Amino acid sequence: MKDVYINGLGAFLPGPPVSSAEMEEYIGRVNGHPSPSRAFVLRQNKIKTRHYAFGRERGKPYSVSEMAALAVKHAADASEITLQDITFLATSTTVGDLILPGTASHTHAALGIPPIEIASFQSVCASSLMAIKSGYLQVKAGEHACVAACGSDFPSRYFTPGFYEGTAVIKEDGTLPMEIDFLRFTLSDGAGAFIIENKPNTLVPSFKIHWIDLRSYADRFETCMMAGGVRHGDETAFWGDFESPAAAAQAGALMLTQDFALLKRMIPVWVSHYLSLIDQGKIKIDAINHLCSHYSSHSLRVETIKLLKKAGAMIDEDKWFSNLYSKGNTGTASIFIMLEELGRSRALKSGEFILCHVPESGRCLNGFMLLEVV
Amino acid sequence: MDYTKSQDVLRALLQIWADFSSRLDALPLIDKLNRGKFRIEDYKILLMNHRQQVVEGGRWIARAASSIDDRYFELRSKFMTHCVTEHRDFRMLEQNYVSLGGTMEEIQKGEKNIGTEALNAFMFHRASQPNPFDLLGAMFIIEGLGQNKAGEWGRMIRDQLGLKDEQVSFLLYHADHDDGHMDEFEEALKSGILEIPGMGQAIVKTAKIVARLYLLQIDEIDNF
Repeated sequence: MKDVYINGLGAFLPGPPVSSAEMEEYIGRVNGHPSPSRAFVLRQNKIKTRHYAFGRERGKPYSVSEMAALAVKHAADASEITLQDITFLATSTTVGDLILPGTASHTHAALGIPPIEIASFQSVCASSLMAIKSGYLQVKAGEHACVAACGSDFPSRYFTPGFYEGTAVIKEDGTLPMEIDFLRFTLSDGAGAFIIENKPNTLVPSFKIHWIDLRSYADRFETCMMAGGVRHGDETAFWGDFESPAAAAQAGALMLTQDFALLKRMIPVWVSHYLSLIDQGKIKIDAINHLCSHYSSHSLRVETIKLLKKAGAMIDEDKWFSNLYSKGNTGTASIFIMLEELGRSRALKSGEFILCHVPESGRCLNGFMLLEVV
Repeated sequence: MDYTKSQDVLRALLQIWADFSSRLDALPLIDKLNRGKFRIEDYKILLMNHRQQVVEGGRWIARAASSIDDRYFELRSKFMTHCVTEHRDFRMLEQNYVSLGGTMEEIQKGEKNIGTEALNAFMFHRASQPNPFDLLGAMFIIEGLGQNKAGEWGRMIRDQLGLKDEQVSFLLYHADHDDGHMDEFEEALKSGILEIPGMGQAIVKTAKIVARLYLLQIDEIDNF
């Protein structure tokens, strides 16, 4: 088995940073009403600026695969390889541009490089770790020497008024209920990528991947985040089972929703995964120098810290790193974008350990990755 | 893992708790509540079944206290104090039941379901052993329910069924009053009991058994 290194990190954030006050200029106002949930949601998540892929500055929107390819190019630029060295590409996204074929095909096309092996991963935030793990194992097993793994999300295209107006979810006063509206003020757009190789960089630091551990708890949780279906009592009606796509849309099956109460019940399970890795000796709290945790909202960070302190498993808060507040919650792209900025903004020293954490409320999934600066 | 440090034990207990609480949400009765489909009958059934365990709470803690020898005199005081705060609890639960139109006679004559029988038998069995500090593991699970779940359930039941606070007071009271118990729990762990050979391991194992039997109790609602 080969040792595996992240040798280049790239981020692509479309357009200018958008302040909280300007958000509705981009995602719009449903039925012309300012959102009644906006202020509350922003107080909870504490996100100050984010980016949108509507592409006003260039006159046309970006696509998920285009942003993914741009992030891969930036990662290649930051590494010692050229795009032509890549022989395997793994992509991750929450919702691709097309229902089919997979995002990796379109990203490969956008990169314009010769035939390669690809893999498309689709879930929510933690699909990022699926893509990274796929790339990691390809290199570790010796199948490929140089691979790219990326995450790209464009949720805001589904947040515009037309996706909600005239549907069954609109309240009597014409506004959206909080449980549907709050994702509009939580998620935003972007992409990130890693170049992964079987040897470290010769000139600049690399991150050695020690392990990636992903665990699904879907055996015990209902679906928490959903797009493509609508709940009728105990049953979920899938969009394809409606008499027409228009009927599915009218019923609200095409919008992105999240059950926040259910999400909160997942926190102890995620913390438990972390504690089990400590017990297995895979995580040594005192040895962690930097923690990149993709919490979707500041309020969840606060709840998690309470539990970690109780378990005596807290990593000092000054070791935590997050750019949620300035780059927004970009879903599957977040962990890439966070690590990219960590590498630029903190003076990382050889031998330091970075623990990455990506929880996914979709149907309760949780992942960790341990990196060492070499 | 030898569980000689209180943090090792707490870490193991929190993992057991996470597994337990997430499996609890998947049980039919709790699932119904989480989906907003609870009926007044469901609440009455829950109270009826639950009362038969709560009524024994003060008794097994008292039994455990009487099994503690004088080397652990201070901890015995704690068990006794804890017992006093718990042993009237079932009265509040009974009042909640009566406020829904049930009768005192019905709930007091209620039978333990097969899960409650198993849980209760295990608790008294352990409480009868010398220095049964492994029951701290049981308390962690049961107190955890009071602290982390009871309030949420109480509010959901109140809101779904349009009840008054005093009709869900047993559940709400536990959410408000079990906070201090966790601090006492940590103190107890640090009191020197983990120096007893195998005690940390026993606490963890008892917590696992109690979590499993508790799930059984709620899964076997009305199975007598």
